[in-house]
Amino acid sequence: MDSEAAGVGYLSREKILKILSEVPAGFIRPTDPPAPSLPPFKKLGVLVEVDDIVGDQDEGVRIRDKDQSYSCAECRKVLPTAHLLDLHITEQHDCYFAASVERGDKPMFSCFLEECTIKFHTPRQRKDHCIITHKLPANYRFDQGKNRGKQKHQPRSKPNSMEVDEVPVETRSLPYVKAFSFGHQTHRTFYTRKDQRSGETLDDVQAMKEAINDILD
Amino acid sequence: MDLLFELLCQFIDVSASCSLAKDFLKFKKMNSLTTTAEGTFLRNKIRGYARDQRVECRMKAKDSLRIGLGQVKQEVAALEMGTKDVIGMASRIKRRKHATSEDLCRLSLGFLQGNDNINAFAAIPGAIQVLVKELTGPHIQRQTDAVECLCNLSLGEAHVSDKIVTLAGSYMVTYLDGKAERLKRSCLWTLANILGTCEKAGRVLLQMQLLPKLWRLYSDPNGCQEDTAICLSLVATHCLQHVSDEDRRYIAQNMPEKIPDQPGNEYFMYIVHQLEIVKQEHKLGAQQAEYLVRFFEATLAPPADRLSLIYGVRVMANLVALGDPSLIGALADPQNLVKTLNQLFVLRDPDLSLDSMRLLKNYLQLNVADSNLLLDSLHIYA
Repeated sequence: MDSEAAGVGYLSREKILKILSEVPAGFIRPTDPPAPSLPPFKKLGVLVEVDDIVGDQDEGVRIRDKDQSYSCAECRKVLPTAHLLDLHITEQHDCYFAASVERGDKPMFSCFLEECTIKFHTPRQRKDHCIITHKLPANYRFDQGKNRGKQKHQPRSKPNSMEVDEVPVETRSLPYVKAFSFGHQTHRTFYTRKDQRSGETLDDVQAMKEAINDILD
Repeated sequence: MDLLFELLCQFIDVSASCSLAKDFLKFKKMNSLTTTAEGTFLRNKIRGYARDQRVECRMKAKDSLRIGLGQVKQEVAALEMGTKDVIGMASRIKRRKHATSEDLCRLSLGFLQGNDNINAFAAIPGAIQVLVKELTGPHIQRQTDAVECLCNLSLGEAHVSDKIVTLAGSYMVTYLDGKAERLKRSCLWTLANILGTCEKAGRVLLQMQLLPKLWRLYSDPNGCQEDTAICLSLVATHCLQHVSDEDRRYIAQNMPEKIPDQPGNEYFMYIVHQLEIVKQEHKLGAQQAEYLVRFFEATLAPPADRLSLIYGVRVMANLVALGDPSLIGALADPQNLVKTLNQLFVLRDPDLSLDSMRLLKNYLQLNVADSNLLLDSLHIYA
């Protein structure tokens, strides 16, 4: 076999063994020479034609916007990824989720990044995590939990205080409703007079919005 | 009327399915009279179809023209935009807190013309924020225009890339999971420019979980695999020290999702080797290892790419160095190994032969075959 190999010009077993004794064994690290490199990367921009910029507000473009993004069936909010839509539906429209958050026994708020599996008790904690760990901007535009975070700062009652029947918030500050009239026909319209009591106007608008949404659905 | 007829002929070439136009042709051949109102109606219809088709083609376009910094001056002299124009445009969009598609397009062209324009824009506080606002708006087309604008802005120096990543990086990374293909591709181009420019910006992008997203995009059959592969190779080249163990583990676990014979495959072995995916700590399973061996065997088929072969041999050498014969699949059979090694040695590439020897040495240390028999079967040229 050796003589045959020598005749063709192949290395003999002894020579191979000699070479092998000089070759190091084990893992080859990325820094081990000789490491041929890829062809150098050339930065490139995009040449956009001004003539192409037409019909931004076309109906077709709007339909395509819907096709290429994810929208909530409940409130029609448009979000760029399935994960963000998932978070939106869970956090804004899921009663079970709201109850779980209220109970507060386990973290419920998932990170904005799908690959991160950490969950948090409050949106505030999640926001801090995203800013510190993932370097997301403080005003991350797809953040759903801003208002909820503020609500969490309400002072809690003392744990050992006496149990009392709490009056629901809705009954304590009922908005002004013109329910009936005495024979005088008045135009039925939205109550637009500026209310002296602050906060209630916003409640009214919110209630009306919800009512309109219900009718539309 | 004849002009309209010619127009119709052209249109029928483009869209043979337009029955309306065909009917009109028939109508013309019959040489009957057509009233002005009908002609106008048809003309408008045809224009409508042509416009829709144009818009459709633009949305689906995959061949956007890529161009280097300063090259646009040679290409289109009439488009020249000076630093003053860029500053004026930046002030305008800042004042309005909004940029139209045309503004974005003009800024894009301005950035292409030179570094001075880019630096002038980047130095204006609040200007990039307007682009970010458009990037996160509700319209996909405007988002795409904003990303293309940022792509051209990313042709600048490291401090500009740093700014882009701080303000818009998270959104570009988010859009990689979206549905709009053109938007995704433009994001990838921008990210590639940033990764190739600034290591610090690359580290921030990796903290935004860029690597798992890129790997998922690279594994899925879509139109962005080549661009994703470029981004991954840039991470492996410039930001290797910032890649976390979790990211490496994610790639190791999701290996079988990468299908051979897809665009960007020439980068695969380079990425796997540079990111040190084949390592004791990452606990590569039999399925993943088998996939690597199969992928390596596929790269041996002619015409073999030299870079893929070299890094493929390195990955195989590391796989054998793990010391578990069950992980090397088909290569555990000595006949298969000899055949593979002979295929490599016949290429007479010094770098490749050196790494092949290392693969052989690691294999001999496994003690799964008679070493003398194996060495006698090898055809290594003197």
